[in-house]
Amino acid sequence: MATTERRSGTAAAQTATETALQGAWWKWGTGLVMCFVIYGAFFIAGGAVGFGKTGDIARIVFFHVPGAILQSVSYAVAACYALVYLFKTHPPRKAAEIDARSAIAMELGFVFCALATITGSIFAGMQWDSYWNWDPREISIVIMLLLYASYLVLRAAMAGRPEQRAKLSAVYALVALVPAQYLTWAITRIVPSTMHPKNPLFEKESLSLSYKIVLYASFLAFTLLYCWMSQLRFRAFKVRTLIEGKRG
Amino acid sequence: MTTFDQTAVTRVSWWQQAFALLRKDLKAELRTKVAISSVGIFTFASLLLLGLATAALKEVPTIKLLGLTYPISFDTLVGKQQPAWDSPSKMGMLWVLFCFAAFAGLAHSFVHEEETNTVAALRLSMAPGAVYTGKLLFNLIVLFAIMAVVTPVYIAMTGMTIGSPLVFLTVMLSGGIGLAATATIIAALAAKAQGTGALYGALGLPLLLVFLMLLMNAAATVYVVNAPTLRIVKDVGGLFSFGVLIISMSGMLFHFVWEE
Amino acid sequence: MHTFTLETTEHGGAPETRMNASAQPDLSIRLEQVGHRFGTRKVFSGIDLAVAAGQVCTVTGPNGSGKSTLLRIVAGLIAPVEGTVSVTVNGQVQSAGDRRNYLGYVSPDLTLYRELSAAENLQFFGRLRGITLTRDDLIERLTQVGLRGRGRDLVGTYSSGMRQRLKYAFALLADPPILLLDEPTANLDVSGIAIVETIVAAQRSRPEGGLAIIATNEPRELEWGDMTVRVDAEA
Repeated sequence: MATTERRSGTAAAQTATETALQGAWWKWGTGLVMCFVIYGAFFIAGGAVGFGKTGDIARIVFFHVPGAILQSVSYAVAACYALVYLFKTHPPRKAAEIDARSAIAMELGFVFCALATITGSIFAGMQWDSYWNWDPREISIVIMLLLYASYLVLRAAMAGRPEQRAKLSAVYALVALVPAQYLTWAITRIVPSTMHPKNPLFEKESLSLSYKIVLYASFLAFTLLYCWMSQLRFRAFKVRTLIEGKRG
Repeated sequence: MTTFDQTAVTRVSWWQQAFALLRKDLKAELRTKVAISSVGIFTFASLLLLGLATAALKEVPTIKLLGLTYPISFDTLVGKQQPAWDSPSKMGMLWVLFCFAAFAGLAHSFVHEEETNTVAALRLSMAPGAVYTGKLLFNLIVLFAIMAVVTPVYIAMTGMTIGSPLVFLTVMLSGGIGLAATATIIAALAAKAQGTGALYGALGLPLLLVFLMLLMNAAATVYVVNAPTLRIVKDVGGLFSFGVLIISMSGMLFHFVWEE
Repeated sequence: MHTFTLETTEHGGAPETRMNASAQPDLSIRLEQVGHRFGTRKVFSGIDLAVAAGQVCTVTGPNGSGKSTLLRIVAGLIAPVEGTVSVTVNGQVQSAGDRRNYLGYVSPDLTLYRELSAAENLQFFGRLRGITLTRDDLIERLTQVGLRGRGRDLVGTYSSGMRQRLKYAFALLADPPILLLDEPTANLDVSGIAIVETIVAAQRSRPEGGLAIIATNEPRELEWGDMTVRVDAEA
């Protein structure tokens, strides 16, 4: 059935981004920047003050911090899509797309959260000689990982009922937003002290220029990687829908 | 014979409907005793297990190292390390018990409706918000009943002190509200997803973990001697805020869960 | 392609009733191009229907053609994928949520609380609608559906026929202007069927205006309708 799509501001922005992201040019760019980051992490950047004996342990930050930040952003994206799904009426195909975007954001959040957890644990092992310390930050990131996993479990449990699955997982994403915010912001401030390094990234003096270059490049690389993965997943979803449509 | 007047239908307020549902649930519960018995048996069994497991533990002094508290638990007489089994830890254990109890029994209110398919009749008669309120109140009552019975027994069994009574009571109340709120919305979700009890546990676990962290933090405040009021408000308020936020979000989102 | 036929059959409805029907535009149900789908499976589409006060509409079709779904859509329990449903009561179009205040719904998948007695069930659902039932009220309502003297028994002990009768008591609690009946005489004996027929007739001649939509395949029940909608399965 024909649906007239009203181009609201957000829809226009979305299609604009999509056209901009059509080509492969930016993916080549992502690959290049990521190669630079990986190479730079070991050979270009100097060590940072306060990390281990030689400051070399800080190199894992290039992979740990973008993961942690992106995971949080991803959840916010998923929550926004969930809100839009629930609180506005959509034609069925559009609704399925919005739900897919929300789910993809949660899946990528899971991936990046796992990255952050694992790199954090490796760092802890290097810095304090033990891979797990019951530190509030460590606990928070693991609970966040569990949260993403629970979301995926919920979706898996309702694989056969797409509309209900969309609605219930949107509700869960939004309800779980409450503990997620506590984990991101509150827990580390409530518990008196944490082993996690304070905020050396924001103290200009403790980082050398080479370090900062690689650091900002890593933010860029991981963000672009996120967009790329998200686009791939969404395309896979669209293809799957097409196949199922032809079959049914 | 021209104007049509629907006099039989009066606009019934949410609260009236919620209380009617609460009364119905309590009446059914007292008759069948399903939730109370399953929760009660489970809780007391866990209590016994806990008592057995911790019988050998003793309170130990602690020191602060690197900002974290460690037990000075080396028992020179026996030559072994002892874990720190102090009152905050006991409180934490008590709440782990309540969390399991909640997840054993508080799902019943929604799952039963879903299984016997009385949901249709309710949907035709009640506003979704009233359903949520009624079920939340029911779960609150059941949970507080369990807490009222189990806490004294636990205190007697483990020797947990109460610290400052007012703060203790506030912590227990806030914790109860947070736990019941979490259990209610997760029960509604899991019941609609027609998952097994395992799904209920899986969905609720992350929320409960955050809840427990906030609770442990508040529990520590209970045992601080002459704690500054600001600290109490901060810590207990943090715990209470969790329940309030969950209830707010659930209230806004429930009708998406309830309606098809 | 789902086909749909609307047959208007004249049955001995008194002329006065029909005249009253047109004189009361403030109670009606209208469906325009309503269609529904479960996932990718299309149930039906293109249903048009108009029922006014004093009329009874029957919905018929093979098993699985979506009669129950159509009734649930009218009741506002499901939102249709296509088309619009306008239920007008008191001259105002009612939203899906408000509609339920004016409906009585009987269906095989409607269940009442088995751990409560019939009287307790009616009292509970009455309370939800702001109706307080005295003992005499209860007796009267139970007698109307032929369950007199069984009010104290738990619904769990009822036979399927008795449960069906109780569903009618439930549906008629608030004296609704709209009755939606899905397989109205399922599990009922001869006296039960007579009771349902009385209820439908009373609904048609309800003083403040009343209408009914009945989903059924029974020829006897199809005769009760002033019009028939046939929901056909895919040819």
